[in-house]
Amino acid sequence: MRRQRRLLAIGTAAALALVAACGGGQVRGSGDRSPGAAPSGAAGGGAVDTTFVYAPNLDVVTDWDPASSYSNEIIAMQNIYESLTKFNIQTQKVEPRLATAWTASGDAKKWTFTLRENVKFHTGKPLDAEAAKAAIERTKEEGAGAAYIWDSVKSIKAKDAKTLEFKLKYPAPLDLLASADFAAYIYDTTAAGSGDLKKWFAEGKDAGSGPYTVDTWQKGKEVELSLKAFDGYWGGWQGTKYKRVEFRVTPELTTAAQLVQRGEVGFAPRLNPQLFAQAEAQGAQTEQAASFQNLLALFNTQHGPLKDVRLRKAVQKAIDYDGLVAALKGAGAAASGLVPQGLFGHVPGRAQKQDLAGAEALLKEAGHGPGGKPLKLTMTYAQGDADQQLLATLLSSTLSKLNVTLEAKPLQWSTQWDQAKSGDTAKRQDIFVMYWYPDYADAYSWFVNVFRSSAKPSFNLTYLKDDKFDEAVDKLTELAAVDKDAALKSYADLQTRLIDELAVVAVPYVVNYQRVLAQGVSGYVDNPAYPNVVFVYDLTPGA
Amino acid sequence: MPRYLTRRLGQAVLVVAGVVGLTFAVMRLVPGDPAVAFAGPRATEAELAAARARFGLDDPLWTQLWNYARDLARGDWGVSLHTKQPVAQDLALAFPASLELVGAAMIVAVAAGVPLGVLAARFKAGLPDFSVRLTSMLAVSLPVFWLALVVQTVFAGNLGWFPVAGEYDNSLDVTSPLRVYTNITIVDALITGNWPIFTSTLWHLVLPALVVAAYPAGVIAQMTRAALIEESGQDHARLARALGFGRIAVLTRFALRPAAGPVLSLIALVFAYAIVNGFLVEAVFNWPGVGRYAADAIRSLDTPAIAGVTLLVALLYVAANLAVDLLQGLVDPRVRGR
Repeated sequence: MRRQRRLLAIGTAAALALVAACGGGQVRGSGDRSPGAAPSGAAGGGAVDTTFVYAPNLDVVTDWDPASSYSNEIIAMQNIYESLTKFNIQTQKVEPRLATAWTASGDAKKWTFTLRENVKFHTGKPLDAEAAKAAIERTKEEGAGAAYIWDSVKSIKAKDAKTLEFKLKYPAPLDLLASADFAAYIYDTTAAGSGDLKKWFAEGKDAGSGPYTVDTWQKGKEVELSLKAFDGYWGGWQGTKYKRVEFRVTPELTTAAQLVQRGEVGFAPRLNPQLFAQAEAQGAQTEQAASFQNLLALFNTQHGPLKDVRLRKAVQKAIDYDGLVAALKGAGAAASGLVPQGLFGHVPGRAQKQDLAGAEALLKEAGHGPGGKPLKLTMTYAQGDADQQLLATLLSSTLSKLNVTLEAKPLQWSTQWDQAKSGDTAKRQDIFVMYWYPDYADAYSWFVNVFRSSAKPSFNLTYLKDDKFDEAVDKLTELAAVDKDAALKSYADLQTRLIDELAVVAVPYVVNYQRVLAQGVSGYVDNPAYPNVVFVYDLTPGA
Repeated sequence: MPRYLTRRLGQAVLVVAGVVGLTFAVMRLVPGDPAVAFAGPRATEAELAAARARFGLDDPLWTQLWNYARDLARGDWGVSLHTKQPVAQDLALAFPASLELVGAAMIVAVAAGVPLGVLAARFKAGLPDFSVRLTSMLAVSLPVFWLALVVQTVFAGNLGWFPVAGEYDNSLDVTSPLRVYTNITIVDALITGNWPIFTSTLWHLVLPALVVAAYPAGVIAQMTRAALIEESGQDHARLARALGFGRIAVLTRFALRPAAGPVLSLIALVFAYAIVNGFLVEAVFNWPGVGRYAADAIRSLDTPAIAGVTLLVALLYVAANLAVDLLQGLVDPRVRGR
């Protein structure tokens, strides 16, 4: 027995020694394990450097290609890459980023951007007009994600090293489009040399010009991504700044709250109202910020009972807007029209109120309501979304008192969307609930994507076909570029048409972000044009 | 023995084939278009069509099943719609962390469960027995997710005795980088003598391992108690007692060894169960294991990843069952004839 044990011990030790001696092991957290190897000119990260830790709920990067990236990675990409311009939420204006100045022709079909001098990509190559042209052209060609923001561009010309000239097919606010949260990044298209650039990016490498560059990327690890300061950044590194950024994936909100409280994490992008209140009570640095994301209840105008505009108006009036906002405890705010506050096109003073008497009268007029024919409606919403579920619960309770049965089904997005696009119109829902947000700081996205008609439904899930409306939408971009006042009026008119006249949509609330920051972090400004992004370079670390 | 072995292996292969068929059926029966999950919520029709073509979603079902089984056999478990990486590669990165957590939990469970079972058997119907039975019943029936949150809030959040989350202090990646061989952090730290990461991982393991250990410890304590009580009633144990051996000596020297068979079998089965049970604990403690991967996969309806996790868990169960059968066959020759 003793001999067996001794043999076992010797065997185990030998196996371990063999593994260790075999070599081939890779160093975790260093460039040679992760493909995100340190590019030249990067500032060496170290434990002495101040590190800003962000705690996202989901994995950080799903697409490394700045041309097609259209997901969670925005929180990292906006610190690695830069666009020509940036939308400032405080002034509600577009401000310089890689471009220092720009001019537009009178008809807004020719735009000239002057590029910032002495800007280098993380690859070491200088960022000039030719490089910027190549990046935008590649993004356009890839045609993925939000690449449509460049649809209006007919041609790009690098007039000299610092001057970039765009000729457009139709007038468009290109300065605003160039500030988009996705697809507007300028990057070094020659980073992979003669290799495949998409594959090069997919290895977790970057070719941006922003303040930070990829240090390590370890998919599936707790700290999935860490960035380090780029020494050659045009903004310089004077003053106290964070030299490292880490993204520490924290799916549980309770865990995130505790990590911020202990100072292990600098920023948690989202807490639930209970945890948010708790963090506030414990003296944490909290911020409640309005977003550009609102919840939409889209009514089926082509099939089923809601073809009748009176019934659509009745459902609109049955929604308990104030009750919903109160129950959300700060996670939502009352909506005024279709366009959230802070965006061009927003109309103040248009918040809707519940009107049960009005709803009952409309139902009666259509032969339904208490004492009338029973009415059954189907509604689909996102599975696992407690806030949408709240809407479903409150609305079905209200409608049941009006002799209307609301069959609310929580579904996975792909199922919900598939059903809504089904060729068999009978399979489609009466009410489709979803969030919408713009890809750049403009209201156009709601009108063109959600309400403009198309041969096959995509996101226009009211199935609205209204030629006059379509015509007005098609003129919006041009109007916004050449005549702001006329554009604003058009936006207001279109919202009246959609909400009051055609009653194709109800906007239950606008989403509020409930953020928590560690003590000592200063300089944070929430910018809903770049959802959940912390521009770490602008922050000042605490003592 | 060879016939017994062949029969058991044959059965295991059949079970695996069944699981492959079932996961494929579930993948295809789940409503919703996997192409939407891959191409993103705002994908165009052209992008959706490209995604469908890439994953062969337009092929007939039988062709898809055949391709799926063939690829699995080749080690190609498909590409995750969410991470856009090969599922097998994702799992190979995540599984060692789960193994580390559950391995630590099993050590705790055995170290606590077996002595508690002996104690309960020694004082059968007495206060220690009652306490052990009550504690193990609680350990088995408390929801693991709830237990994780409570333990984390009290011992990490409020008292600050242990880290809130994570596998080890992340700054050690810079100051004391770990050379990776097995991808099981604590093992790699041990074999490379990286003591800062070793101690940090050990420290981070305490709370999640205790939570994952609760269920197995409870089951092992109950099973040990029952097996010992049964064995100590057998003739050989009574003879030992008549020869003058003390109660504890009879239990540990004469009854525990024959009772070890069923207890060992149980440990193997509980181990496979603990991997799945640990998923929720991983989510609470940010443990970078299969649990987090599965949660992300379910949230984004990432069918290849969900199928990959299901298959991995099924394989674990099959392996555990096979190990139990072989172990019992070795220990007890009567089993081989069955």
